[in-house]
Amino acid sequence: MNCTEAQERFADVLDGRLPEAGTAEVRTHLASCPDCQREYSSLAQTLVELDALPAAKPGPALRQNFYAMLEEEKNSAASIAAAAARHRHHTRASVWRWILAPAGAGVLALGGFLLGSRYAQPVPGAGMDPATKQELADLRARVDSVGQMVGISLLQQRSTSERLQSVLATLDQKNPDQKVISDLIGSLALDPSTNVRLSALDALYPHAGQPIVRSGVLATLPREQNPLVQVAMIDFLVAARDREAVPELERIVRNETADRVVRDAAQRGLAQL
Amino acid sequence: MIAAYPDIRVESSSLVVNSASDAVDSATETVSDHDLMLAVRDGDLAALGDLFERHHGPLFGFLVKLTGHRNAAEDIAQTVFQRMLKYRHTYRDDGSFTAWMYHLGRRCAADHFRKSNAAPAPTDPANLQDHADETPHAGDRAATRDDHALLHFALGRLDRDDREVLLLSRFQELSFAEVAAILECSVGAAKVRAHRALRQLRDTYFKLQKEKLT
Ligand SMILES: [Zn+2]
Repeated sequence: MNCTEAQERFADVLDGRLPEAGTAEVRTHLASCPDCQREYSSLAQTLVELDALPAAKPGPALRQNFYAMLEEEKNSAASIAAAAARHRHHTRASVWRWILAPAGAGVLALGGFLLGSRYAQPVPGAGMDPATKQELADLRARVDSVGQMVGISLLQQRSTSERLQSVLATLDQKNPDQKVISDLIGSLALDPSTNVRLSALDALYPHAGQPIVRSGVLATLPREQNPLVQVAMIDFLVAARDREAVPELERIVRNETADRVVRDAAQRGLAQL
Repeated sequence: MIAAYPDIRVESSSLVVNSASDAVDSATETVSDHDLMLAVRDGDLAALGDLFERHHGPLFGFLVKLTGHRNAAEDIAQTVFQRMLKYRHTYRDDGSFTAWMYHLGRRCAADHFRKSNAAPAPTDPANLQDHADETPHAGDRAATRDDHALLHFALGRLDRDDREVLLLSRFQELSFAEVAAILECSVGAAKVRAHRALRQLRDTYFKLQKEKLT
């Protein structure tokens, strides 16, 4: 082994992690070569001193900041988990309360029609908690006792233009309360006028972040007959990134009697979700 | 930035708890870093506290040597633990915690320099010595401290990449395969780069010592 070859292997000799056996040749050369010895010992000395450099110690702020950050993350992780649980409960159970609460008897009919459409299909009961199941059972009982009552919503008692005006008025409210939101969902579900339903949907856009709004739109979609409104609802749910809409969109895509335009919109929506 | 990380597939070595972390109690000592990080990933965020106690000291020491600045090192170390939390879901079953930590450290340091848009100034030895551990050998303390200052200064004169590979290669708890994975190069390339950096450091350091004597 010559000097160049030996020096190329210095890294291995200097690295404590390698077995000595592999470096025997280098060591033999070193033993008999003063030049290489000088080179090797200067490198070894530098490494020894580098390893011996005292490590700087961090100030107390690093630890304080770390634990503050950890606490914050724990809290936000907990609140996200809680919000997710609330959301699951909310979307399955409370949407009915929101839709039903504002308008008495007419709304019971709405409950009936929503239940009839959505839950006459195979109900995905597996994911439901007992409270939700109970709430749905109660609703069914109430609707059954009223029979096949055809309700007249309060909204329907006014003229179309009045109803449209009341829907449009909500657009001027920056933070409309839940009563207004549920009225809008009621209009979307019940109003006989396509224009009013479309306007209600438009008025709901700023509130698409609320689970109740997305659930309401999703709940009314299966009963909507007008392709124009159906497509607008699908676009709404897709824009709101509502994954809960996936099964309904899949149902529409499979439904051969549905309007071609609607099925295409559902197909597009599924691709985006 | 985490995307590059899955290349690190080295077995987690059951690491010896670093002597710098005196705060570790005997109960957590038996749990490996890897298992602690898996617990963090699965939602037990408090386990990151144990990992912090074990590793923030050595990480900070590395970052001070790398950046030459205590403040920068504290900021970067903080960011490293922040990213561990943020990207905890990307920690792999076959990961190595230490390798991951230095991988993040390297990335965070690079981000730091990109943001501050400034290469690290050569280390100010006085600044570092203020907070360094005192050497226990009182006899030649002055001389040793002088040498330390010179060596720090010589380190500061290396390119950051060279300094990085050299410092990483000296961590005995990292295998060269892990060092190479952190640097995203082959083991051979990592060795060559580390050795070249060592020769440069030696040259600068010896030159500084000679200048001091004359
Ligand atoms: Zn020789």
